[in-house]
Amino acid sequence: MSGRPPRQEDGDSAALRHKEELSRRIKEQKVVVDELSNLKKNRKVYKQQPNSNIFFLADRTEMLSQSKNTLDELKKAHQELENSEKAKIKK
Amino acid sequence: MEAPGGGASPLSPALVGRLRREHEKVVTGCQEKIQHWKKVESDYEALQERLQTLPDKLSYDVMVPFGPLAFMPGKLVHTNEITVLLGDNWFSKCSAKQAIELVEHRKKHVRKALDDLQKVMKNFESRAEFTEDLQKMSDAAGEYVDIREEIEDDSIETKGKYRTAHKPHSKPKVSNVFEVDFPTNGNDTKPMGRFQSEEELWARLEELERQEEMLGELDRMPDAVQVNGEDATSSEDEREDKDTDVNGTCRAEDCITQGNFHKEFGNSDLFVRHLNGSTYHSDDEDDRDVGHNSVPTIYFSHTVEPKRVRINTGKNTTLKFSEKKEEAKRKKRNSSGNGHAAPELPIIKTPADIYRYFVDVVNGEYVPRKSILKSRSRENSVCSDTSENSAAEFDDRRGVQRSVSCDEATQSDNSEGILEEEEGEEKQQLPKKLPPSSGTTEAFSGTVIEKEPLSPSAMPHPVLAHPVLPTILERKSEELLSDAPEEPVKRISKFRAARMQQTQ
Repeated sequence: MSGRPPRQEDGDSAALRHKEELSRRIKEQKVVVDELSNLKKNRKVYKQQPNSNIFFLADRTEMLSQSKNTLDELKKAHQELENSEKAKIKK
Repeated sequence: MEAPGGGASPLSPALVGRLRREHEKVVTGCQEKIQHWKKVESDYEALQERLQTLPDKLSYDVMVPFGPLAFMPGKLVHTNEITVLLGDNWFSKCSAKQAIELVEHRKKHVRKALDDLQKVMKNFESRAEFTEDLQKMSDAAGEYVDIREEIEDDSIETKGKYRTAHKPHSKPKVSNVFEVDFPTNGNDTKPMGRFQSEEELWARLEELERQEEMLGELDRMPDAVQVNGEDATSSEDEREDKDTDVNGTCRAEDCITQGNFHKEFGNSDLFVRHLNGSTYHSDDEDDRDVGHNSVPTIYFSHTVEPKRVRINTGKNTTLKFSEKKEEAKRKKRNSSGNGHAAPELPIIKTPADIYRYFVDVVNGEYVPRKSILKSRSRENSVCSDTSENSAAEFDDRRGVQRSVSCDEATQSDNSEGILEEEEGEEKQQLPKKLPPSSGTTEAFSGTVIEKEPLSPSAMPHPVLAHPVLPTILERKSEELLSDAPEEPVKRISKFRAARMQQTQ
């Protein structure tokens, strides 16, 4: 019996962490989209190669659309997570 | 599941809780590793993606990191030249495509590690669940009952068994020695063995003593008889005595080990045995032992067996052998006036001689007897040992004359002599037969002729001997030719024996 709660906590904590991570990334992505959308047209945009320190020159409009897409995906994932939590609570 | 199941303390909640915690620790560790590997995998995927598009352009405008905090604009050229870290600070130059393959290879390895970790995690998750179940079981004590078997009692029993195990060494000997007593003594003693009160016990002991004395007398009787010529039987008796003594001592020791009551018994047994010094004390002990160990009563029977054998060999064999012959021989002996057949006996100097003298007739052929005691068919077997055997052989050579002479020889033989021979042929015959030293061959022929005239009294014997012999005669003549040197000696010896008897 005592075993249950910690495990659930673990699961909850993981879910919680996941949710926090998700919301953080959503905020981040929102900022990115705002920044990209507010950039002057002659500004250069560099994108960091993941896991390295090098930055590649990227197209501004392209990056804006890409960031918007990721933002949408993140929002969708966040929405699903909240829906599942609501379902659990209802049960 | 391992620890609680094997542990002596039954599912103590603390232990179960700790076990579950350890399992969960492993699970969380696995999860962390999995996350790490997933990150690695994602990194490799990004790298792969970049590598796939890198050769698309000749040059890239990039911000080159200049230290951790500074960047400077640059151009990435040689887009299809990549140095790959192989490990241990070794690099290899390769194209983007080869780099992609390398990355793919590494991704495979990462994926494998991920799968293993997933399995371990699943395994430990299930274990954690099981420990939870165990905890439930321990918590809800009403539903589950612990069934145990106490081993202490078993160990004691096994000790007892060990003791019994020792007995087999002594037992087989006993079994060999005693068979016949079993019905008489065994039935009485068995049931009584353990549960007698002391009085009963003593009464029983006295009774046993009496029996032993009786038996001892019986035993001695045959020994006295044996002086006449039963060496074999006497030897058997001696053997019995030895065996029984050994067994008896063993038994006594066993009894002592087994308990107070048994001690008394064992001591008393020893005492009795020493007094009488006969084999039958050991019998009694054996009976008791049988009672104790639930050992088969076989032990007892053997002591009596030798007696049986004697009786059988003595009376039965003689009867089977040829009653008429015996009677005739007796008459002859009476007439001759000497009861001892010894002089007539053939000379046996070597084992081969025994086979020559003791011969079975099968389908008119001589077949060396396998074992004298076995005697698959006494009627068929021609007792060549004394006069008959030699007679058969002689008949082969000399014909009718031989048979006649043989008859005389047989007549001269004592019934006792025959008995003796059958019982312990080798032993008995040697001493008796030696006196008539191997005669000369010439004497044989002469004697044969002489005997014929005397034959009329012996004639009845030929009738007995002949039915078997006639077919044999031809054969024997052939055999005799080959065996010639040995046979004449035999004849002579018989004749001599006959003469000796007559003279005596």
